Amino acid sequence: MIVYQNITKSFDDCVTHAVNDVSLDVRQGETLVLLGSSGCGKTTLLKLTNRLLDPTSGTVIVDGRDVASQDPIALRRKIGYVFQGIGLFPHMTVEENVAMVLRLQGQSRRERRRRAHELLEIVGLKPDAYGRRFPSELSGGQQQRVGVGRALAADPAYLLMDEPFGALDALTRDTLQQELLALSERLSKTIVFVTHDIFEALTLGDRIAILHAGQLEQVGTKSEVLRSPATPFVRDLFAKPAEQLAAFQEML
Amino acid sequence: MIADVTWTVFLSERMGELWLRTGEHLMLTGVSVGLAILIGIPLGILAAKVRWLRGSVTGGVGIVQTVPSLAMLALLLTLLGKIGTLPAIIALTLYALLPIVRNTLTGLRAVPTAAVEAGRGIGMTPGQRLWLIELPLARPVILAGVRTAAVVCVGIATLSAFIGAGGLGQFINRGLSLSNNRLILLGAVSAAILALLVDGALSALQWGLKRQRSQGRRGRPALDRVLRPLAVAAPVLLVLLGAAAYAATRLNNSVDAWGAGDSQGPTIRIGAKNFTEQFILGELMAQMIESHADCNVDRRFNLGGTMICHRALVSGEIDLYAEYTGTALTVILKEKGLADPDGIHQAVANGYRRQFAAEWLGAFGFNNTYAVTMRRKDAESRNLRSISDLAKHAKDIRAGFTAEFSERPDGYPGLRKAYGLRFGQVLDLDPALMYQAVEKGEVDVICAFATDGRIAAYKLKPLRDDRGFFPPYQAAPVVRRKTLQDHPEIREALHRLAGRLDDTTMQRLNYEVDEKKRAPADVAREFLTQRGLLNPGDQTH
Repeated sequence: MIVYQNITKSFDDCVTHAVNDVSLDVRQGETLVLLGSSGCGKTTLLKLTNRLLDPTSGTVIVDGRDVASQDPIALRRKIGYVFQGIGLFPHMTVEENVAMVLRLQGQSRRERRRRAHELLEIVGLKPDAYGRRFPSELSGGQQQRVGVGRALAADPAYLLMDEPFGALDALTRDTLQQELLALSERLSKTIVFVTHDIFEALTLGDRIAILHAGQLEQVGTKSEVLRSPATPFVRDLFAKPAEQLAAFQEML
Repeated sequence: MIADVTWTVFLSERMGELWLRTGEHLMLTGVSVGLAILIGIPLGILAAKVRWLRGSVTGGVGIVQTVPSLAMLALLLTLLGKIGTLPAIIALTLYALLPIVRNTLTGLRAVPTAAVEAGRGIGMTPGQRLWLIELPLARPVILAGVRTAAVVCVGIATLSAFIGAGGLGQFINRGLSLSNNRLILLGAVSAAILALLVDGALSALQWGLKRQRSQGRRGRPALDRVLRPLAVAAPVLLVLLGAAAYAATRLNNSVDAWGAGDSQGPTIRIGAKNFTEQFILGELMAQMIESHADCNVDRRFNLGGTMICHRALVSGEIDLYAEYTGTALTVILKEKGLADPDGIHQAVANGYRRQFAAEWLGAFGFNNTYAVTMRRKDAESRNLRSISDLAKHAKDIRAGFTAEFSERPDGYPGLRKAYGLRFGQVLDLDPALMYQAVEKGEVDVICAFATDGRIAAYKLKPLRDDRGFFPPYQAAPVVRRKTLQDHPEIREALHRLAGRLDDTTMQRLNYEVDEKKRAPADVAREFLTQRGLLNPGDQTH
């Protein structure tokens, strides 16, 4: 379980706040989506989880312990992270990328290889065909599969995903979303997923937290946020795409 | 050897030494670039990581780069008080630093932040990020810096011959001193080829380290598997090859090289300044010692001037060299000039005994004074016989002096005072080039050496020193006291040369080398043989 308690983060000595007094729980085994437009503070909140950033005030609790008291290196190794963009290491093969966390943990070359192949199977890449390639030799969707594989390498209980499918075309994104759903059910990970895409949020999220200008507008299940929006912002957020969708359906 | 031997003969005669010098050159470059890598890459990392240090690090190595190479060598010589390999390696290392530091910094700063952030996100320590992500990604840029450094070093290393560190510059220097264009070309062309080889070896390293794109399932071709490690090792192999060439030629003993090499018998190190007469005197002394004393001789010729020879003698890096009384008195002991040749020999001998623990042995016999010299044709047409005559026209006259003459108290500064003259224009000229310059009319007056054979050959006229400004410059061997104590036979061997060379003889020997392009060693041997000075039973050395 991840608990955010009264989190505030400012990058300019409290002139402006990227995250402003946010309190939020992520329950064991659920996928929580942080939804909001760019600049709303969702990526900042994600980075506060594994101490890529430290909060200006407030507490983040992972596994019942305040992260401020945990070694950031050890913390990051037990939390999988999938990066915005892709963030693969361009000078390493797919296998090496996927097994990097295991290498940091000091596992043997043979064990790393075995596990890398296993992980590539999990994310739907044939190890024999892709393991020895470099990231630049893969398509965007394939690269992102490698990114997910890398995050899963140490079999972490938590997975942080920062707009992982943002740069992909609609069809590839859909495929990967479906696979992630299947994956999260099978592996029962606790996932915090950042996106600005409402449909992605509705597809993937067990619960959705809507952020706006650094503040938490509402957190709830799909039906809660759709049926009883807590603020006008939340209502507008879903109303607009619904109108567009209706118009689109009429055209069909 | 006559003046117009063919290039093939010239090359085949020099082949042994060419290998030796190439080996020295490669070792100098290899060691310096190696050191620069060991220092430069950490410095570059520091500059990349610690923002407030960045300015001082890049500024510091940048300033080093702006110091002219010769000045740097001279400076290190003074600071270390040593000639030879050490100051050369320090200077080369300093020059090699800039490209390596700068490229390390640039390379590290150009690493995509996404990759570094990802490393952070999956739990890499700062050290792991540097080692696994940043340095590998910066490697092509860093290697490019190393390549630049290495090529620059091969070039600058030619200058280190100036302070007795050997290398291909030795040919260039000697060629300049003896005005022998072939020697200059031999050194310059070899150095250029070497630079290309070094660059090639490092480019092979770059290729070898680059991870090739796999394109699917094809495994590495077998040839590739052999070639890549070879390419990676290429720079090291090249330096090892140089070391091997050096060692092989040294073992063969086919070259008179400096450095203690022979196992049997003690080694006497003989120095010489950077002009022809000094080479001949050095050879004469060397061959006498080889013939009459049971010693090996290590020839450390072509040291860049009086002060360098003197310091090398005092610090014990050479055992002896030929010095001139007038020079010793005014430049080293800094005393007023004396007119009497015997008195001045006595004075410098006393001074050296007291201050430098060195002995002046019997003078060779000639007086190589400075001679203010002009074209005979001009002197006659303007009716100039003495320096006083010349002083009246000084304003319209272009003088070409050696750098040393321009600064020495017994050179131009003293001359100006003594005769109250001031030439219209003064150019600094290389001692080997000034005779040609005055002959061709590019200057009107030079500070010739009285014993130079080219005075007669070029139809020049030395003007009379009618105010007796120049002290006598009797050349004589100066030897460390310790050396004479350990090897008393050296005193006897050198004493046989005392009084053997008068002005005309020395002029002739100089002429043989300067104009007929004969090797100083051959000219010296011929002279010693003709005069029966060599030990007849002992010609095999």
